[in-house]
Amino acid sequence: KKKKKRREQKSFPSQIASLPSPNPRHHPTVGLGASTCAMPGYYDISDILMEDEAVSVAFHVGANGVGLLDPGTETNSVEKGAKIDLPFWLAHELCRRRAVSITIPSCFGQKMKKDVQADAACVDLGTRYPYFYEFGCKLFPLVGDKSIGPFLRHTFANRYKEMLSKSHTASLNAIPKFVLRLSKEEHQLFEAARSSMVEFKKWRVRDLGLMKTTIVGHKRKTDLH
Amino acid sequence: MYARRAAQLLQELSSCEEGQLPPYNGDKFDQVIRECEEHSRQFQSLIRDKDIETKNEDHYGSFIHHLSIIRNKRCLMAYMYKRAEVIQSYRWNVGRVLPREIQDKLNFSEQEYFKDYCGVIDSYMKDLDLDLTVDMVPPKDPYIRVRVLSEIGEVSLGDHAVSLTKDSFHFLRRTDAEPFISQGLMEEFVE
Repeated sequence: KKKKKRREQKSFPSQIASLPSPNPRHHPTVGLGASTCAMPGYYDISDILMEDEAVSVAFHVGANGVGLLDPGTETNSVEKGAKIDLPFWLAHELCRRRAVSITIPSCFGQKMKKDVQADAACVDLGTRYPYFYEFGCKLFPLVGDKSIGPFLRHTFANRYKEMLSKSHTASLNAIPKFVLRLSKEEHQLFEAARSSMVEFKKWRVRDLGLMKTTIVGHKRKTDLH
Repeated sequence: MYARRAAQLLQELSSCEEGQLPPYNGDKFDQVIRECEEHSRQFQSLIRDKDIETKNEDHYGSFIHHLSIIRNKRCLMAYMYKRAEVIQSYRWNVGRVLPREIQDKLNFSEQEYFKDYCGVIDSYMKDLDLDLTVDMVPPKDPYIRVRVLSEIGEVSLGDHAVSLTKDSFHFLRRTDAEPFISQGLMEEFVE
């Protein structure tokens, strides 16, 4: 059986805080607070699903034998200069080898920035972009846009304030509507807050098993002889 | 192709609740393996007689096929790994005998894996002379009241035999009652 690779991951907010400047020669996975081994979270299912997000790329080179990737092509190949949607795992490797360039997806575009400026907490990340933050962290070194890092931090900070108060007061049975708007990472934080509130309430009413002494109820005499 | 089906397999797995498994999707698993073979065939046809160093269209095409195979492999490995983790947790949460509904969700090699895992744990516990699977939550009281939900019959606990008929109440040691409670045959009686 394969040995489990040790992976230490920095907490999610510090991952955003430590985003490096985009350097094309810089290995994308190192320096993002990921572990020191070459394939952080190899078995991590949410990481795998996150990499399945589609990005639009423009090919700098042609590629033969992979015509299925481009629905518009008649030959079994992708032409140089073609613009198609690829899953992120493929786009990321090709971009590292300068075969394609990735265009910034709409979730980090101007419209999104305006929505966040207006009201960050109302932006629906849960249905549209559930892997918003992780995807941004991985995309950041590959596109030349320096503003993605601060944008992620700003979005998270604004949403966090409201999320913090709501998650501590949320009831256990009903799922409040705002939970559906949370991205996967925010959802984990929400669950952590809710379960810690439940544990706290249980602790408050726990049976201490204390014995009542008979002295309670008698008046204490405080003379000092 | 291009690992879409493998991603669906993982979606299926992640949509289940924590600690639960969907039935083993052998069909999709085999389809992904066949896709890998297809990628491999395409890869072979693109690199034959070609100089590895020239970065022409065939090179990039073959590279994409290679990446697809690696990606499929990663998805399948993660699928097996996650299922293996859950199966291991069954030994601790459910017990040595798995109920029928869970058994039906595992394929043959997973059932074998469960048996081997139980064997490893048992031999380890025998060496320690300690049963690690009881008292996962520290108990307040070594004895507990139980109500029997389904007919179990005569069971010998420690030095005496107890007749566990349906709807009978007993005052048992917690370590003896826990295996039955986790299988759903008994429940703790709380006044």
